[in-house]
Amino acid sequence: MSHAPDARFAAAGRPSPPLIPGLAIAAIGVLVLLLALPFVGLIARVSPRTLLVRLGEPAVLEALRLSLLTSISATALVVILGTPAAYLLATREFRGKRLLEVLIQLPMVLPPTVAGFALLMAFGRMGFAGHWLSAFGVSLPFTTVGVILAQVFMAAPFFIAPARAGFAGVDPRLLDAAATLRASETQRFLRVMLPLALPSLVAGVSLSGARALGEFGATITFAGNLPGVTQTMPLAVYVALQSDLDAAVVLSVLLLVMSFGLLLGLGSAPPGWMGVRSGAGHPGSPPHR
Amino acid sequence: MLDIRVRRRIGSFTLEAALAAPSGAVTVLVGESGSGKSTLLRLVAGLLDPDDGRIAWNGEPLVDPAARWSVPPEGRPIGYVAQDYALFPHLDARANVAFGLRAQRRPRREIERRVAATLDRFDLGALASRRPHQLSGGQQQRVALARALVLDPEILLLDEPLSALDLRTRRTVRAELRRTLQGLSCATLFVTHHPTEALAFGERIAVLEAGRVTQSGTRDDFVRRPRSRYVAEFLGVNLVDGTIAARHADGLVAVACEGTTLTVPDPGAEGAVRLVIHPHDIVVSRAAPAGSARNVLRGVVDEVIPEPPQGERVRVLLSTRPPLAAQVTRDAVETLGLVPGAEVFASFKATGVVVLAGEGGDA
Repeated sequence: MSHAPDARFAAAGRPSPPLIPGLAIAAIGVLVLLLALPFVGLIARVSPRTLLVRLGEPAVLEALRLSLLTSISATALVVILGTPAAYLLATREFRGKRLLEVLIQLPMVLPPTVAGFALLMAFGRMGFAGHWLSAFGVSLPFTTVGVILAQVFMAAPFFIAPARAGFAGVDPRLLDAAATLRASETQRFLRVMLPLALPSLVAGVSLSGARALGEFGATITFAGNLPGVTQTMPLAVYVALQSDLDAAVVLSVLLLVMSFGLLLGLGSAPPGWMGVRSGAGHPGSPPHR
Repeated sequence: MLDIRVRRRIGSFTLEAALAAPSGAVTVLVGESGSGKSTLLRLVAGLLDPDDGRIAWNGEPLVDPAARWSVPPEGRPIGYVAQDYALFPHLDARANVAFGLRAQRRPRREIERRVAATLDRFDLGALASRRPHQLSGGQQQRVALARALVLDPEILLLDEPLSALDLRTRRTVRAELRRTLQGLSCATLFVTHHPTEALAFGERIAVLEAGRVTQSGTRDDFVRRPRSRYVAEFLGVNLVDGTIAARHADGLVAVACEGTTLTVPDPGAEGAVRLVIHPHDIVVSRAAPAGSARNVLRGVVDEVIPEPPQGERVRVLLSTRPPLAAQVTRDAVETLGLVPGAEVFASFKATGVVVLAGEGGDA
């Protein structure tokens, strides 16, 4: 490739040099096919009629009920426990911050079976925490609460990361202004930080909710596969695959639609939400000097 | 009375300043960017703590590191208007103004009443439901002021309140802001890097240079006796350093300075002095002056600058030794033919010169 500098300038000035976009479009095409084909295959496998009929089956409804119960509870817990952590990570410097960050990120990359096994080692009958809990008559493994615990473990980072970014994006000068307007730290958080970071928090809720809904490995390892108690939809799909393919397809399509809707609905709170960019000030504000 | 005596290090920069700001007056803190002005305001606001020193309001300490005492910003009787106003982007103008009263949990009726009155006072009634990004710079500034003043602060802190405005709006907003500030009973501390703004707003003016207050006093003092090159340059006055060479009998002294000897009032001191010669005290003529002026210098016109542009007065820069700037009328420029290169005499009376003792040398 030997272009004269002038030619390169001319090329840069043109709206679309043909080669690069061509490759990019091809790459995107392959990617979309790769991501979408399995879903198409799944949906094409079953007729709408079968889908509707089998949706009403008690086993499917049971799994659906359990999945909704656990993933909603888990997401609520993630928000309650994760918001202060995200706030802390976004606004403070402290010793061991990096360790805490890695610890929180770990479930994102850990094989879920390892996470479930670790949970079992801690909260199982022989685990130290489980031993302590059993003194109060509480046992988590192989219970619905255990499912929620596994989902919290796996889904927390998917909320904390965007929430933290949202908090960090709030202009500290707005918090200073709030302080000089007599707002206590709690008020500054509730009336300035929270509303400005809300789009990011909503995105985090949708991501972690979807992750909790789809949680499989940690759940089956830690909580087992008891219909009606710990057998959520992903587990039910796995079981159905070995006996009743249609049921597996129905459950899978249901999961697919729910996850898609969750990400589409909540996760797409636009960055210009309420005319607010949660980063630097607001449009029309003069650049800081 | 706000009493400030603080030291605070930030990286390699140290702010070490003492300053007093009385109630019912505007004290302007003027200095170049990086001189520590905003830092000083943040210290008073409580957004930053000093390493050393004390800030007190009417004798009550706001912060006193030695006594491990620091009132948090939300507990100080302040109003703070940040340089870019820092309006809450998610709240409309009314909610921005109501923010402080709500934080104090005032009764709803009272909040409504005070917010409405303040919006009216700042002529914001029609804009009350606009978000900050729907307001012009001047309007944003009014909201920021209203938001601070609705709390009836005892200390008002303004950080370059005009610098975020474009030149055209700045002039109108400046006049408006002056009227607002004149009616206030609180102690106002106004930070700017524009000496013109300092002169327009400050009954008292303090000059901050490299983290230190180099001059503080009345506006008159600031104009008549500028102690630093920074201020002199902005005021456009001539600052000449020299050494007292001889004492005359009539209360005057001879000062040896660059290339000449000037006759000025006796400061009652010895050694190095700094002379302040106001441009309007300098008479420019084509022929040797016949009057009683004791100081006459010869030189050539360097530059002729109308002041302000299109104005009646004209600034004439002369390559005398030392070089001087004189202020003459537009008429004089035409009658005398003051064009660059014209040979002229510059003369001024001894008594018009302000002599600052013990200051010469560095600037």
